[in-house]
Amino acid sequence: MITKISHASLFVNDQEKAHDFYVTKLGFTVNTDATMPNGLRWLTVSPPDQPDIEISLLNPFSSGMSYDDESKAAFKVLLDKGAMGAGVLYTPDCRATYEELKSKGVVFKSEPKEQFYGVEAVITDGCGNWFSMTQTKEH
Amino acid sequence: MQTLSADIYTKLVSAKLFIDRHFDEAVDLETVASNAHLSSFHFHRLFTKVYHITPHQYLTKKRLQKAKELLKTNELSIAGICTDIGFESHGSFSSLFKKHHGLAPRSYRNKVQEQKEKAAYQPACVIPHCFIAPHSPEEK
Repeated sequence: MITKISHASLFVNDQEKAHDFYVTKLGFTVNTDATMPNGLRWLTVSPPDQPDIEISLLNPFSSGMSYDDESKAAFKVLLDKGAMGAGVLYTPDCRATYEELKSKGVVFKSEPKEQFYGVEAVITDGCGNWFSMTQTKEH
Repeated sequence: MQTLSADIYTKLVSAKLFIDRHFDEAVDLETVASNAHLSSFHFHRLFTKVYHITPHQYLTKKRLQKAKELLKTNELSIAGICTDIGFESHGSFSSLFKKHHGLAPRSYRNKVQEQKEKAAYQPACVIPHCFIAPHSPEEK
């Protein structure tokens, strides 16, 4: 029986830049930061209200990762384009969070808009990924 | 979905960012409201509507998050951390910390310290093996 997700991976093309985005700008906390002797850095962060889920910010080009050259090339194309749709980030108020993150220099692909399911903006992490940032509709 | 005016959003966001910058000082929420050009009543009501948490609860949450960070990364005494994050009473800090994070400050620090030592000296103990070893085809 699987009862919850404990870890999820997010591929990023720069772990330091990702640390700045997720920790400094979004306010996530670092859960684990360990480096293997082969150079693989295992950096995990957690959203403020979900300390028990670790999001691993993985650099597929790191020397310790086991991807072959073809896979690395595919990652490079997608991450350089910022094409990875990584998930949905919940916010209690999309417009307020949009204003706050814009003031911190975060880049958005789209402004807050009313959708059937709530208010949504599309946010980029600057390391290859975009997210829906959604305030779900109150029923 | 009922939306607030852009002006109200600007005021609330700047008030929240003020709390984010000054939570470790003696923050007076009436002053925060007045700096945002809102009455205390409206500030409380609008902040709670937007962030789903009262300004006072948010201030406490920020302080407790900072306490966690200091307990993880700093050698400061628990009493020193309590003062540094703006709490006046050590007792109320400890009980609130336990209520929010499930462990008393000292127990939390000990647990984190153990995890950090493990991660530093035996990183393979904290990294799932499949991420560090090439995958082989599943046996049939």
